Amino acid sequence: MIGRRSGVLALLGTLTLGLVACSPSASEGDSGTSGDGDEVTLEVWGWRQEDVAAYEKIFQLYEDANPGVTVEYVPYKADEYDTILRTGLGDASGPDVAQLRSYGLLQPLVASESLVPLDDEVEALADFPDELMDGARGVADGQLYGVPFALQTLHVIYNKALFDEHGLTPPQTWDDMIAAFTALKTAGVTPLAATVADTWMLPIQHEIFGASTYGGYDYLDQLLAGTADFTGQPWVDSMTAWQGTSEFWAPQFQGVTYADAQALFTSGQAAMFPGGIWELAVFAQANPDLELGIFNVPPPPGAAVQETLVPGYVDGSFGVSAASPDQEAALDLVRWMASEEFGQAFTDELRQISAVPGVEPADELLAQALEAHLANPSPYVTYAYFSSDQPTAWDLASESLSDFVLGGATAEEAAGHIQQGVSQWFEPQS
Amino acid sequence: MTSGPRRPARYRAGRTGLGWIAGFTLPALLLYSLLIVVPLVTAFYYGFFHWEGTQRAGFAGLGNYQEVLTRYPLGDEIPVALWHNVLFFVGTMAIQNTVGLGLAVLLYRNPRCKRFFQTVFSLPYLISPLIVGYLWSLLLSPSFGPVNYVLQSVGLDSWARPWLGDPDTALPVLILVNAWQWIGGPMLIFLAALGGIPRELEEAAALDGASSARAFWSVRFPLLMPAVGVITVLTFIGCFNIFDLVYALGGSDGGPGGAMDVLGLLYYRTAFEGGTNAIGESSALAMMIFVLIFGVAIVLERLLRRREVAS
Repeated sequence: MIGRRSGVLALLGTLTLGLVACSPSASEGDSGTSGDGDEVTLEVWGWRQEDVAAYEKIFQLYEDANPGVTVEYVPYKADEYDTILRTGLGDASGPDVAQLRSYGLLQPLVASESLVPLDDEVEALADFPDELMDGARGVADGQLYGVPFALQTLHVIYNKALFDEHGLTPPQTWDDMIAAFTALKTAGVTPLAATVADTWMLPIQHEIFGASTYGGYDYLDQLLAGTADFTGQPWVDSMTAWQGTSEFWAPQFQGVTYADAQALFTSGQAAMFPGGIWELAVFAQANPDLELGIFNVPPPPGAAVQETLVPGYVDGSFGVSAASPDQEAALDLVRWMASEEFGQAFTDELRQISAVPGVEPADELLAQALEAHLANPSPYVTYAYFSSDQPTAWDLASESLSDFVLGGATAEEAAGHIQQGVSQWFEPQS
Repeated sequence: MTSGPRRPARYRAGRTGLGWIAGFTLPALLLYSLLIVVPLVTAFYYGFFHWEGTQRAGFAGLGNYQEVLTRYPLGDEIPVALWHNVLFFVGTMAIQNTVGLGLAVLLYRNPRCKRFFQTVFSLPYLISPLIVGYLWSLLLSPSFGPVNYVLQSVGLDSWARPWLGDPDTALPVLILVNAWQWIGGPMLIFLAALGGIPRELEEAAALDGASSARAFWSVRFPLLMPAVGVITVLTFIGCFNIFDLVYALGGSDGGPGGAMDVLGLLYYRTAFEGGTNAIGESSALAMMIFVLIFGVAIVLERLLRRREVAS
């Protein structure tokens, strides 16, 4: 009898435990509203854990001007952010405003109707250049879902001291550049700290060295119209132009990771690093004594355009959650994010180029990057314009450029890989 | 199963209350259901729908399965990744488990410092595969890694290579690093199995004039078959589920030219780097991987069980 009773007790205990485990927790966290009167707390989710302090300062400006509104920046780990955000946006306890990835990575959130269209809500967006807004546009409906915050530009970043030591200046022609690479190599300095093992860096390097060969926006227009494709000679040649610089990469470059390449550059073993403008902050932190400069790659002989093109793209935008209980307050906040006040605070605090038109970075190199990009802009084709469906041109380009540079494919085969993948879903714009 | 009249029965099946059984099994059952069965059934169910981000859209039938198997380059990557899993399994069986057996025999024969070596060989067990992966990628880095540096400083320059960046060496390196971490597992299991073999059998073999190699293959090894079976099934499941170590060594793309691409990475890319319908497609892919591993594991287990009985 005792045995049976204890058994029943054990069973009950287990069930209770199970129920407790399954029941929703009593405090569901801050839903965003305090509920009384005009007091509003807005949660802004993002993937930049390193920027919390800067965002606190930036949002302080808004809080000072809007009594009763508290803005909290809630960062998540960058590589987990997309998954967390997808779930969070479906829920009122999620973010009110969220940092959104741009271009193709934005589309799943548009498809799930998790975001508020901003076309009629944020008037200032009309002043943003169209190319910038492409980063925050829903491909299926053409509506705008975010206020772009950062513009990223791509360059060759160089070590000024090493350039001075070897009597070099930023090259004005392709031949100058190859001569400088050769001089450094002869002197025992690795000219280019190129990332190879982390394949996401390959399309970036391809844009830096190949943009003028395929022709930048002109060729993009043809690609979008369907009158040219990735197997076209200009595109194939641009891949070859980039791959041709591999003789100036680090020894055994096949195994050089992104972190290796950064370390090669910041330690002074390599003179140049082809990459995004965001590296400036990273390099300055790793080696504060490093004096940096930037230049862009002059067109090689036979290039489609004769200007030195400067590739750039929108890094992300701030959008409003459709499930936010404080949508009006959230919309007010993103309206402010399209203002010069926000843009200036953003570029000053975060040392990045603000996407707000008219904002000039105080940092000299950022200002130089922005000016160069505005003068001769070029797109980040595979990431920005052919990434709205699967497989994305960006993934395909990462794979095929890796195969190409490791000797597993010719330039034609590598280009064919991108085209074959993209042609499964891409419909030319008429 | 019935107790004989002379042996006092400690446990009598008929008298154990249902409540007791339930009380003890329910917690595990509940956790198992919550953490294993529910996600599995959910994935199975999700795989039949088209998804718009996190919103479930229309019923897709086998559409997601078809998409995953036919879309370029995903459809082509599946057999390649599967083949890499097979090579990884074969390589691990050949290196990790044979060396593990060798070490176990050595320790069994020379019990001096047995504890010490047991601990040393099992230590990497305690480190997360992610950390092991990052450590080895640092050690093997062509720019800063000590492995190439040592090779070069002893005059073996031609041996120095981008180990993880060369499609020819990436997968073998993966097998070796994985073996480095887990070699303690088969070693401990074999050591325990060796300890369970009655001394008389070995002594009898020695008296009959069998050489030590002959005694090993004819007496000990057949008796180790149950351990071999367990290790084979565990290795199979481990090798086909591998994700963390490959991810740390070669990133989500599976290393140079996809030379280390395995099913786990393919799933990761489909689920977390996929597009609007990522949930549907990745669920379909997960179900296919599950059916494959589950099916083969059962067949393998049956085959090995039969051999055990036969031997």
